[in-house]
Amino acid sequence: MANVSGNAYGLTILSPIRNGVVRGAEISHADAVREKLQAWNHEFNSPMASVPQTYLCRFYVLDDVVTQSLPGGSALDSLTDLSPYIPDALRRWALPAEDHLQSAYLVFSSNLFCGPAGTPDAYLHGMWNAIEARVREIWGHCYGFDEVRNVDDFVGYMKKCQLEATLFFVGSNDAPLEEQLKALYLKQEFAKFAIDNQGLPAAQLRANYAAFVQRVQPENVQGPAWQPGQYRL
Amino acid sequence: MSNIAGKAYAMNVVTPVRWYSAWLNKLYFFVAARTPSTLAGLKTLSLIHYARWVIVGRNQFPHLSPDQPREKLKYAYMLFFSNFNGSWDQYVDSFTFAIPGGLDLFWKGNVRYSKSVSLTPFHRYIQYNQLETIHYYNGYPLATANDIKSAKTVRDSLLEFDKTIDQGSDEEFLKRYHALLRGLQHDLGAMYPTPIVSMSAYQVEKRARWHSAEANREQANG
Repeated sequence: MANVSGNAYGLTILSPIRNGVVRGAEISHADAVREKLQAWNHEFNSPMASVPQTYLCRFYVLDDVVTQSLPGGSALDSLTDLSPYIPDALRRWALPAEDHLQSAYLVFSSNLFCGPAGTPDAYLHGMWNAIEARVREIWGHCYGFDEVRNVDDFVGYMKKCQLEATLFFVGSNDAPLEEQLKALYLKQEFAKFAIDNQGLPAAQLRANYAAFVQRVQPENVQGPAWQPGQYRL
Repeated sequence: MSNIAGKAYAMNVVTPVRWYSAWLNKLYFFVAARTPSTLAGLKTLSLIHYARWVIVGRNQFPHLSPDQPREKLKYAYMLFFSNFNGSWDQYVDSFTFAIPGGLDLFWKGNVRYSKSVSLTPFHRYIQYNQLETIHYYNGYPLATANDIKSAKTVRDSLLEFDKTIDQGSDEEFLKRYHALLRGLQHDLGAMYPTPIVSMSAYQVEKRARWHSAEANREQANG
């Protein structure tokens, strides 16, 4: 399955946003989604920081598709430009068609740790359990979401909105998030240790290193580590 | 809008593909995914955390409710999502210089695709079809993709090294410690928050002010 690469999963969700305006407000559903997501940027950290195993994720609104009006390099473009005597009708026929969506879509794309299961089920359960109210706040503007009442409905809904990846490339690593955060913490701390303990006598260095290990607990992924979404040291 | 979260940039590009040739693009990706040499070029771009291509047929857009109008699209669409470190220009240019052939293969048949060489038309094509992210979350905003890979090496090495702390004399420990440092010299290095270059700079500054006010309050309270 192309959504999976090792233990990482590329989740692509396109949820259709209701047409028309929000009842009692002079704002379209698409703009309401945009406004609420924009407000997430003003919080001290993203609500997604509470969703377990999220490496990186994003939200955007696909209002419509873009009509292609730039010059291109395709065979058709080149063929119709071969001679000035190509009739205008043929040139116009070769122009890209104008295409429009019937409704806007909320695009949610997440890169996450799925483990050997290779499915997004546990992740979606975690998302609902961690931020149900925030999920409702956004997806409440989408078609069909009014039938979502519990976590199983939510997982079912998201799967109906899911698109299969054609290629998912992992350039980082696919370890559980807490392992990655622990490793980053260790890298930072060990770099400091190496600098602070240069040139010490062997016995002193050994004692300091033992104290360092006791403090940073390299094996304990729950222990001292960076927090998901931590942006300050 | 916030295309940037910490050291990562989120790029979204949506481009039309002729519906009758979209299967060919899927075939190229299918073969690429199974041909290590094709992906080798992508791997040299170590600034990428995760990248994804999704091709959705013109009749495959999710339909969730009878109230939702059915799409009447003329094209299939390719959605591209990338999470990378560095600036937009660095990323787009490195794609062009590292894997121009691969890039042309992945976008082959996309309507009005300019080809990846030369640069300026390719920049215009990506800019024209790029959509802004509204909310972007990064689980490790202080780290780059290379930091994450090297952090794993550091942790694995430390776990191995720690098994031998109590073995032998202090001098033997020192030798092993120096060997550890030599082995990790490409993987160590401190991480710091990036200079603020994002459109959410205001929020970041606001948070920094809040944190510093909190620290002052704590200090004042003893």
